[in-house]
Amino acid sequence: MSALDVGAFSAREKGVAGLLGGIGVLLLIAVVAGVLAPAYLLYLVSLSAMYMLLSMGLNVQWGYGGLINFSVAAFFGLGAYGSALLTANSSPISGNVSPVIALFGGLLLAAVLAVLIGYPTLKLRDDYLAIASLGLAEVVRIFILNENQWTAGSAGLTGIPLFFADWPVLGDLSYPYVFQVGGTALFYMRQPVITGLLNLVLVGAFVAGVYLFLRRIHRSPWGRVLRTIKTDEDLAETLGKDTFAFKMQAFVIGSLIMALAGVFYTHLVLYVSPPDLQPITTFYVWVAVILGGTGSDRGAMLGGFTIVAIQQGTRFLNDAVQLPIGPAPLRLMLVGLLIILIVRLRPEGILPPERELIWPDAMRGDGDE
Amino acid sequence: MAQILQYLANGLVYSSIIILGSIGLSLVYSIADFANFAHGDTMTVGAYGAFVAFGLFGGMGGSLLGLPLGFYVSLLVGMALAAAIAVLTHLAVYEPLDTDSIGLLITSIGVAFVYRASLMGVFGTDFLQYDITRSGPIPFLLENFDVAITQRDVAIVVSAAVLVGSLHFLLQRTTLGRKMRATADNPDLARVSGIRTDRVILVMWVIGSALAAAGGVFLALYSQLDPRIGFGILLVVFAAVIVGGIGSVYGAMLGGLLIGMIHELTPLLGDVGIPIGTAYAPAIAFVIMVAVLLVKPRGIAGDLT
Repeated sequence: MSALDVGAFSAREKGVAGLLGGIGVLLLIAVVAGVLAPAYLLYLVSLSAMYMLLSMGLNVQWGYGGLINFSVAAFFGLGAYGSALLTANSSPISGNVSPVIALFGGLLLAAVLAVLIGYPTLKLRDDYLAIASLGLAEVVRIFILNENQWTAGSAGLTGIPLFFADWPVLGDLSYPYVFQVGGTALFYMRQPVITGLLNLVLVGAFVAGVYLFLRRIHRSPWGRVLRTIKTDEDLAETLGKDTFAFKMQAFVIGSLIMALAGVFYTHLVLYVSPPDLQPITTFYVWVAVILGGTGSDRGAMLGGFTIVAIQQGTRFLNDAVQLPIGPAPLRLMLVGLLIILIVRLRPEGILPPERELIWPDAMRGDGDE
Repeated sequence: MAQILQYLANGLVYSSIIILGSIGLSLVYSIADFANFAHGDTMTVGAYGAFVAFGLFGGMGGSLLGLPLGFYVSLLVGMALAAAIAVLTHLAVYEPLDTDSIGLLITSIGVAFVYRASLMGVFGTDFLQYDITRSGPIPFLLENFDVAITQRDVAIVVSAAVLVGSLHFLLQRTTLGRKMRATADNPDLARVSGIRTDRVILVMWVIGSALAAAGGVFLALYSQLDPRIGFGILLVVFAAVIVGGIGSVYGAMLGGLLIGMIHELTPLLGDVGIPIGTAYAPAIAFVIMVAVLLVKPRGIAGDLT
C-alpha cells in the first residue's frame, strides 16, 4: 500500500468491483430470463443500500471513534417504530401523519435515546460499553414488546403508507397498487416495479447524502480528533480535547444514520415488529463493517451487499436444494463463521480505508502510475 | 409475607443458575482477559449434551432429591462435553489469534453463533424437556410456611452449592487453585514464577465451561430447553459478573446471588403498586449493572479475590 498509488484503484478494489459487477449482471440475466421478479431485484438492492446506511452509521462510532456500540438494533428499531407509529393507520398513539414529518419524528426519538444511552455508557471502558449497550438495547426491545398501549406490542404495526404516498405526483404513481398485507414474507413481490424504483431512489438519496456528509466530517478537524481518540484517548485528553463530547457527538451522529435506515425500512417493508430489534440485527451490521473494513465507507457498501446475499441467498438455497440445515441456522452459522474468519485472516477488512482520509487536492498529480 | 418467602425461594433457585454461569464468565474475563459472549451458548451446549445423555442414562435406577440418578450422570456428561468444546474452541479459534481483547470479544460472538446454529441445525428450535415427571411442591413446606418449593428446586440449589463448594476448596486448598489465583492476579508474574500459565488457562476453560454447562442444565430443568436459553440469560450473567466485580470468583458468586434475587423479586414491585411487570426483570438487572459500572466499576466485591 504505497503512498504513490492512492489515486489509482488497487487490485483488490478492482477485484471486488468486478465481483459485484458480475453478480449484478447475473441478477439482470435472471430478471430478463423471468426467474427473478424485477420488483424483487429492486427490493434486494434497496435492502443492501439500507444495510449500507446502517454500516456507515456504525462506522462513525466504531470505525472513526472506536466506540463498541452493540445497540445498533435499538436505534434502527426506534427509527422504524418512530416513523411507523406516526404514519400507520393501526398506530395506537397517533397515526396518519405525513411520512416526511414522521421521518423527523423517528430521528428525534433516536437522538434522545442516543443521549440517554450514551451519557452513562460512553465514559466506560471499551468492553463495558459493549455489554452495557447490548443490555440497554434489550431494554428498548423489551419495552416495545410489552407496552402494548403505545407500541401495539408483539403484533407489530401494519397499515404503513409508502414514503411518497402523499406526494402530488409520485403518490399517484404508486399508491393505488399497494397491497397492505403486512407481515407475510413475500408481499413485496406483489408491489409494482414503480414502487420499487421510488424506494430505490429514496434510499439512494439517503445513502448519497450520508456518504457526502461523512466524507466531509471525516476529513475535518473534528474527524481528526475522533481518530486520535480512537488511537490514544489519553493523548487527545492531553491536547485539551473534551473527549467525552467528541464521543457523544459521534455516537449521536452514528445513531441518527441508523435511525434513518430504520425509517426507510418501515416504508420499504410496511410492517415493523419487535423481532426487528433483536441483537442479530446489530451483529449483521457488525459483520458488514468489519468485513468491508473498519472505518471504510466503500467497505460499508461491500458489507451491505454481503449481508443481503447471506439473508436472501440462504432462503433461495433452501428452496433450491434440500439442505440438512434450515435457512435460519444456516444464516447464523455463516455470520458466525464470517466473524471468526475475518478476525483471523483479515482483521483490517477487505477494503480498509485508504484514501478516505486524504483531501482530493493532496492527491492531484499522484494519479496515473 | 408468604409471598415474599416464595419470591426469595424462587430467587435462590434462579441465583444458583446465575452463579454457575457467572463464575465461568468471570474466570475467562480475568485469566483470558476478554468478555466472552459465547459463554451463554456454552451453557446451552451443556444443556443439550445432558439432554442427549439423559436419553441413554435416564433409565438408571435410584433417585436423589426427586431426580433419577441418571440425571446426575447426564449432568456430568453435559459438563464434560461443554468443557471439551470450550477447550477445542480455545485451541482452534482464540489461541491462534493475534488480536487484542476487543478482537477476542468480537470473535466470541462468532463462536456463540456457530454453537447456536449447530444446535438449531441438529435439534431444531422447538422447546424440549428432560423426560422427568414433575412432582408437586413439598407438602411440609407448603403446609407450614405456605411456600411452594419442589424437590427439583432443592436439587438445583444443593447441586449448585456442591459445585461451588468444590470450586472454593480447589481454589483455596490445592496447588492448582493457587496457580489459578496467581495467574488471574498477574499473568506475567505467575509466568516468571514458573507457573505454566498456558496450562492454567486450559484448566480455567474446563472449570468455567463445566460450571456454565451445569447452569445451563439446571436452567433447562427449571424452565425448558431451546437453543436460545443461553444467549437469553447471558446479559443477566454479565450483570452478575459486573456487579460482583470482574475477575473475582467470589464477587461473581455474590453478584449472582444479588442479581438472581432481584430478578425474582421483580413481582414485588407490582405487588406494592409500582407498575413494572415481570417482563422487565432482565431490564432491571441491566440497569443495575450500568449503575454499578458508573458508581463502582470494580464491582461491589472488587477488592476480594
